[in-house]
Amino acid sequence: MVATTSPRPPASRDVPLVARRPLQGPYLLLTFRHPEVAGRTRAGQFVMIKANTAADPLLRRPFSIMSVHPAEDTFTLFLKVVGSGTRALADLRSGETAGCLGPLGRPFPMPPEDHEALLVAGGYGIAPFVLFGDELRRAGRRARAFYGGRTSGDLQGHDPFTALGLPLACCTDDGSFGHHGRVTDAVEAYLDTRPGAVTLYACGPDAMLHAAARLAERRNVPAQVSLDPWMGCGVGTCLGCVVRIQRADEPRGKYRCACTEGPVFDARDVVWAGEGSSRARREAAAVLR
Amino acid sequence: MSLAVQLAGLRLKNPLIAASGTFGYGVEYEGILDLSRLGGIVSKGLYLEPRDGCAVPRIVETPSGLLNAIGLQGVGIRAFVRDVLPRLDGYDTAVIVNVCGDTVEEYAEVARIAEAPGVDALEINISCPNVKKGGMAFGGDPRMTHEVVAAVRKATRLPVIPKLSPNVADVTVFARVCEEAGADALSCINTLLGLAVDVERRMPRLAFGTGGLSGPAIRPVAVRMAWQAARAVRIPVIGIGGIASAEDALEFLIAGCRAVQIGTANFVDPGVYSRILAGLEDYLRRHGRESINDVVGSLRFPDAEETGGGGC
Ligand SMILES: Cc1cc2nc3c(=O)[nH]c(=O)nc-3n(C[C@H](O)[C@H](O)[C@H](O)COP(=O)(O)OP(=O)(O)OC[C@H]3O[C@@H](n4cnc5c(N)ncnc54)[C@H](O)[C@@H]3O)c2cc1C
Ligand SMILES: Cc1cc2nc3c(=O)[nH]c(=O)nc-3n(C[C@H](O)[C@H](O)[C@H](O)COP(=O)(O)O)c2cc1C
Ligand code: FES
Repeated sequence: MVATTSPRPPASRDVPLVARRPLQGPYLLLTFRHPEVAGRTRAGQFVMIKANTAADPLLRRPFSIMSVHPAEDTFTLFLKVVGSGTRALADLRSGETAGCLGPLGRPFPMPPEDHEALLVAGGYGIAPFVLFGDELRRAGRRARAFYGGRTSGDLQGHDPFTALGLPLACCTDDGSFGHHGRVTDAVEAYLDTRPGAVTLYACGPDAMLHAAARLAERRNVPAQVSLDPWMGCGVGTCLGCVVRIQRADEPRGKYRCACTEGPVFDARDVVWAGEGSSRARREAAAVLR
Repeated sequence: MSLAVQLAGLRLKNPLIAASGTFGYGVEYEGILDLSRLGGIVSKGLYLEPRDGCAVPRIVETPSGLLNAIGLQGVGIRAFVRDVLPRLDGYDTAVIVNVCGDTVEEYAEVARIAEAPGVDALEINISCPNVKKGGMAFGGDPRMTHEVVAAVRKATRLPVIPKLSPNVADVTVFARVCEEAGADALSCINTLLGLAVDVERRMPRLAFGTGGLSGPAIRPVAVRMAWQAARAVRIPVIGIGGIASAEDALEFLIAGCRAVQIGTANFVDPGVYSRILAGLEDYLRRHGRESINDVVGSLRFPDAEETGGGGC
């Protein structure tokens, strides 16, 4: 529970907004100058950021880092406006500053050499996969993404991802863009084509993460999920972001901080809502029996 | 110009202390800020054994405030002494352990184990609203308050600092009881008991139900209670509640507090200490004061002439 010192600690800074690009609907891209985030981030990490020093809303909010530009000392967020904190960030003008701490959290682990990475995104969950796609591509790994939303307007991360030159399959619940149906169904259909060894990575709403974890269990493939709990501090001190994690050797699940031990976890270790134990524990118990 | 303060036999280089439960065990902030800049650090609440804490959600935001029911998740006093204390060794800051217990005996036992090299004082948490036993149940009853404080007093030679609950009608009663039981200073206040309702689901927004309110929303209540406590006893009072700027800290100091603790503001901005220290120095300069101690307790109420002699 006591966080270990990371050799490269995050940095807290007032960061100026250098670029703002509205997309459709509630989505936009925001670019800030923050040398440590630009220089140290690994895909899956996030920042805690707040637009101003007002007491309301009070706390910084967590956002995945979508891309970094080390030459310019900048990084970009993919933002969906859902409430007052995101609204205040969206209303920032160029040159105005935000309080920002990062990079934070455990990044996505690289897949084994011979695995294809399947990136499963829902809504703003595409954000960390733009950076991860870039890392995978540079490392010469195979990767493709599956991107789901309610309707076509929710797939605003399409262009930043396809700019990487990696394949992207889109799905909408209403069929207005791409496949008609759920993103996990599209992944399942791809697995039916017997693509060889794969590792799943999922980021999006809880229900989608849980569906991806069930799919991984059914198909017996490894999966990493980026969880999305409410976060107060980002550094392991408020204990508000805890999630139930149960490793194979643990008789009981333990609350662990998603901000320091996650947000990326092995899907097997997560005790999902409505389930009494983790997949890792169930499998270990089955072996013993 | 000096920001140093004396308190319960401790000499703090400045009056800013990180509040319990909002600064982890200090080591979480290594590399993010220089821990030696702080007057002191209070650990997360510690029992004899590790604790898992409450179910989630544990934290919700309310207007200018934070409502939490963490339930004192923690590593336990032994792991703290063994694993954390050595890592704090290199920092020039006072280390204060927040002592918890389900029973009077547990408080005393935690206090005994906490008396280890590197620990400078004990803060007794008799005011946590988020546990079913101990906590506020002790801090809301003058007899129990006396019993716990006296037991800890007997168990240790370290300075003893009970942390008072704001969820009482008259805080001065509890302040005096603590002084009589041998306390060296008082921390004032813990969080205010609150309830936030999810109207769509018609359920509490926190899994535990009620929670403790902190942040700027509680500051006027906290300043009033710290001021009342400071007038009621001779031992020094540490003011806590909603401090996020030098002005906020000065409110408590002027109202009679010897030092202050910073809680929720740590979450908002880990750089808060540098900003407040700079602001305190600037204040002393502007007001021609040599020492922060010249400000402590300088609150003055206008006399009838100044107010025009109003009715109430
Ligand atoms: C690790 C991590 C990475 C994230 N990355 C991104 C990202 O790249 N882009 C992005 O747009 N958002 C991201 N989020 C979510 C973002 O933090 C929330 O949308 C934001 O905190 C909402 O703040 P607000 O003040 O605008 O809304 P609030 O007023 O706080 O809430 C508005 C509504 O959103 C809900 N809500 C608030 N926080 C969350 C949450 N964490 N999860 C689910 N629902 C929530 C509330 O219940 C409420 O209904 C991420 C969250 C985490 C934990
Ligand atoms: C998330 C959280 C956890 C806390 N945990 C503890 C604790 O373990 N022990 C304790 O004595 N007080 C605890 N407190 C209370 C704070 O130390 C402080 O008294 C209170 O938050 C008021 O100060 P603030 O408004 O500056 O936050 C906690 C507060 C918060 C917000
Ligand atoms: S967000 Fe505060 S402990 Fe994780």
